Amino acid sequence: MEVTLKIRRSPDGASHTTETYTVDVAETATLLDALDAVKDKRDGTLAYRKSCRMAVCGSCGMRMDGGAVLACKTAMKPLVEQGHVPVISPMGNLPVIKDLVVDMEPFWAKIRAVKPFLQTEEHPDKEHLVEMPVQNANIGKEALCIMCGCCVSECNSMESDPDFLGPAALAKAQRFVGDQRESDDDRRARLKDLNGAHGIWECTRCYFCNQRCPKGVDPRDAIAKLGAQSFRFGSGSEFGAKTNMFAPVGTIVEPGVAHAQVFVDSTHRGGFLDETQLVPKTIGPLAAALDVPFALRLARAGKVPNPLHKHKAKNNDEVKRLWKLLERQAREHDQLGTNHPSLIDSHD
Amino acid sequence: MQDRYAYYPGCLASLSQKELDSSTRAVCAKLGVELVELESMTCCGAGDIHEAKPDYYLHLNARILGQAEALGIPTILTICNVCTLNLRQANKKLQQDGDELARVNENLAEVGAATYSGGVDVRHLLWEVSEGDGYERFKEIAVRSLEGLKVAPFYGCQILRPSKLLGFENPDQPQSLERLIEACGAEAIDYPAKVKCCGFPIVLAREDVALGMTVQPLEQARDAGADVIVTPCPLCHLSLDAWQQKAEKVAGRALNVPILHLAQLLGAAAGIREDELKFKRHVVRLSREVQDKLLRPEGAAVAGD
Repeated sequence: MEVTLKIRRSPDGASHTTETYTVDVAETATLLDALDAVKDKRDGTLAYRKSCRMAVCGSCGMRMDGGAVLACKTAMKPLVEQGHVPVISPMGNLPVIKDLVVDMEPFWAKIRAVKPFLQTEEHPDKEHLVEMPVQNANIGKEALCIMCGCCVSECNSMESDPDFLGPAALAKAQRFVGDQRESDDDRRARLKDLNGAHGIWECTRCYFCNQRCPKGVDPRDAIAKLGAQSFRFGSGSEFGAKTNMFAPVGTIVEPGVAHAQVFVDSTHRGGFLDETQLVPKTIGPLAAALDVPFALRLARAGKVPNPLHKHKAKNNDEVKRLWKLLERQAREHDQLGTNHPSLIDSHD
Repeated sequence: MQDRYAYYPGCLASLSQKELDSSTRAVCAKLGVELVELESMTCCGAGDIHEAKPDYYLHLNARILGQAEALGIPTILTICNVCTLNLRQANKKLQQDGDELARVNENLAEVGAATYSGGVDVRHLLWEVSEGDGYERFKEIAVRSLEGLKVAPFYGCQILRPSKLLGFENPDQPQSLERLIEACGAEAIDYPAKVKCCGFPIVLAREDVALGMTVQPLEQARDAGADVIVTPCPLCHLSLDAWQQKAEKVAGRALNVPILHLAQLLGAAAGIREDELKFKRHVVRLSREVQDKLLRPEGAAVAGD
């Protein structure tokens, strides 16, 4: 079968052109096979990474029509049948070295930053640590990561802040935070770091990472698990405050934690999100007061609900009772954040 | 499209984005669709409760799904991307995991709430009117052509991704909004950021990072010549509308792109009046020229409208 590819060529990573190549390949050919044919028969200077050819090594991440894929896992036949000529380019959010080869160093630096190894030295029972399948049900997907970078390629938060730890490193972090063989102290220390400026609360929930991951790791879901465990271990609220409304002077609750806390509180109090509390409790009353022009623009459009007439759900006593019941259950079982049923992944 | 839905407007359409609720009700009335209230509904928890207290999130959504089931209505109609994903995500977990469903139901019964057996589907208004019978019904009520109006579709994230939970259309090349824009007689503008994030989930906690996202669709739609952006999500709407002036500072130039809710665009094409569509409840106001295209003088409306 004849395959045509438009490939972004960049000799130095800076300037680039788009070249079109047509090659003959077998009907079973993958994108990687097609690239090999281009390199063998059309232009030996084409640069791309490859190794295992079976979606295990994570080397051949690249973009096809703007979306990150593993070249070795992408069949060409459906595209040929549609008459579609795909555009092949390097992954996003990483510097280009040449053609389809990106510099993975920023990626590895973030993986290293989350300490991707078990810390059991301080564990009181370190000689007898065994992880049973039922205990690692909430890190099974995270353990599948092959560190190809496809999730990072389209991470919208990382486009805006290159220092954001991002989906791959955070999924790796959950793989260890959720591991029963680490002590709660180690877990707490990890979560404190992950609640920092470029940590879990910078994820904008765009779900590109889940969409792109070729191994079903679902990094966004891993980040949500880290958030739940942060709440359990009290990260961001070491001083007793849960939001920034009454946080002691000189302290700040992680705004992402405070934001989520407003949702939690307002639903069991009134059923709906209390929008008037969201801004002052997330960023603090002082910062909110300094942003008066913004609030006035919203008020002029009728977008500021009357704080004295809160919109309350009917029969919200049910929700109040539910909240109390679930909090009691969580305290009794003390298992939320490790292997609580609600943290275990759905079957896809 | 069905004749009857359990209607789940969610928090924003009940509070700061009331124009979305009134437009949806007006459009559904024209489509001949009955919206049955979920009287005891609450917030779906959004990504926030899902992240902070996943078990509470699961129960909140099970309670909402159970209310629809108690009404005997098999489908919940949503008008927000975030509500759609959260309800569908909880629903999938409850439908797939019998032990979890039993545990959740035991808790719901203990507090006196309706339990859930797993028989409800959750569908966004966009999906219901952009294909099949719903699309045909919409074309019938779209009596006022919006010819000459250039509309940039903005999908946002949680109606497209993850596709294994949403799955209505190709998440990289969606066409449902374009189909509806064209059915309104308007012109759909294409631009790369239409499937990206508006930044809303972190706009309070990390405003600078969020605005780096917000500015992209606004600039691209402006440069592609759009008169307005239309979105199926009230959170995207709030981000692109209320934070637009701050995004202009990031862009270093004026943008001035009005943002419409999907139901407002459909409503304008269906000849629904301004007092139900409530364009004045937007921070970025419509220019006279755009308003004229959206709300043509009464004389231009088709007889019987």
